[in-house]
Amino acid sequence: MSVLRPLDRLPGLNTATILLVGTEDALLQQLADSMLKEDCTSELKVHLARSLPLPCSVNRPRIDLIVFVVNLHSKHSLQSVEESLCHLDAAFFLGKVAFLATGAGRDSHCSIHRNTVVKLAHTYRSPLLFCDLEIEDFRAAMAQRLVRLLQICAGHVPGVSALNLLSLLRGSENPSLEDL
Amino acid sequence: METQSEEQAVTKPADSGGEGGPPQVAGAQAVRPEDRMTLLLRLRAQTKQQLLEYKSMVDAHEEKTPEQIMQEKQIEAKIEELENEVEEAKTAFEMKKLALDSVLMNNMKQILNLNKLIMKSQQETWDLEEKLLDVRKKRLQLKQASERKLSEIQTEKNKQKDDLDSMENSDKIKTIQQKLETEIQITTVIQHVFQNLILGSKVNWAEDPALKETVLQLEKNLTMI
Repeated sequence: MSVLRPLDRLPGLNTATILLVGTEDALLQQLADSMLKEDCTSELKVHLARSLPLPCSVNRPRIDLIVFVVNLHSKHSLQSVEESLCHLDAAFFLGKVAFLATGAGRDSHCSIHRNTVVKLAHTYRSPLLFCDLEIEDFRAAMAQRLVRLLQICAGHVPGVSALNLLSLLRGSENPSLEDL
Repeated sequence: METQSEEQAVTKPADSGGEGGPPQVAGAQAVRPEDRMTLLLRLRAQTKQQLLEYKSMVDAHEEKTPEQIMQEKQIEAKIEELENEVEEAKTAFEMKKLALDSVLMNNMKQILNLNKLIMKSQQETWDLEEKLLDVRKKRLQLKQASERKLSEIQTEKNKQKDDLDSMENSDKIKTIQQKLETEIQITTVIQHVFQNLILGSKVNWAEDPALKETVLQLEKNLTMI
C-alpha cells in the first residue's frame, strides 16, 4: 500500500489528529478516551490502528503525531511495530513520531528488555515515553502529555515546532545512551 | 504481505459547544463575539506556525541528500553532526534574542520614566489651573459684593432725597406756611396801625424811652425773620 507522508494534506482548521498504533486494542481505546477527556482548545481527533499501512480508501485528515504503543509483556507488539515503521515516510521522524512503552511496572511479566525499546527509539531518533496504561492515574497523566505533544506537532503552539520539541526532549535523555 | 489493518476514528466535539463532526469555525450561536475574536486570533497564530513549518520543509527539501550508500556508523556520525549544528544554531539564536531583549528592556524603562514625568507635570498644571480658577472666582464674588453695596447706597440716597422732596410737598407744610403768611400780614397791619396811631397823635416819642422802644420794635420787618 502507500507510504504515510506527514505533509501530503493541508491541515484542518483548529484540528489536531493523532494516530495510535499498537496491538493492544483495549489499552489504545482507554488511552484514546483519556485523551478526549482532556481540556484542549483545539479539536482533537484520535485514530487507532493495529499496524501500518493504513487502508487508503478511508478519507482521513492530516496526521500530526503517530504514537507507537509497545507492550513490554509481548514480543508480538514489538514485532508489529517494527514492521509498521517501514511504511512511514522519513519526514515523519522529524518530531512527529513517539514511542510509548507500557507494562514496565510488572517486571516479572516483561518479555522484552527495556534497553531494546530504548535502542529502537534511539535508532529512529524519536522520544520514548514510559507509562503503565493500565493504571488510570498514569494513563491520565500520559494523555495530558500526549495532548500537549499533539498540539505542538500540529502547529497550534506559536513559537514551538515539532523539530524544536524534538531537540528539547533529546536534551533530557540519559547520557549513557550515547554508548549504545 | 500487506495487512489490512482496521482503523477506528474517535473525535472530540469542539469546545465551543457544537455537536461532534466537522469543525465549524463559526461555532454555535452561543459563542459571544469575544470568544469569536479569540478563536480567530488563535487560528491566525496556528496558521502562521503551520505556514512556517511548511516553508521550512520546502527549504529542507532543496538540500541534496547524499545518494551513496554509507555504512551505518558513518550515517550515525553524520546524524550526530547535523544535530550538533541544529543545537548551535539554536543557542546562537537564543543569545541574540537575549541581547535584543535587554536593549528593548532599556527602551521600555525609559519610556516608562518619561510617561511618569509627563503625568507629574500634567498633574501640576492641573493644580495650578485650579488655583487660578479659585482666585478668579473670589475676585468675581468681591466685585459682585461691592456692586451690591454701591447700589444699596444709591437707593438709600435716592430714598432720602425722595423723602425730603415729599416732605416739602406735603400739604401740612403748605397750610402752615399759609397760616404763617396771614399772621405775618395781620401783624404787619397791626404794626402800621400802631405806628400811625403814635405818629398821628403828634407825641414826641423820642423823649420817652419806653415809647421809643415800642416805635422801633414796630419798625421791624417781620418777613425777614
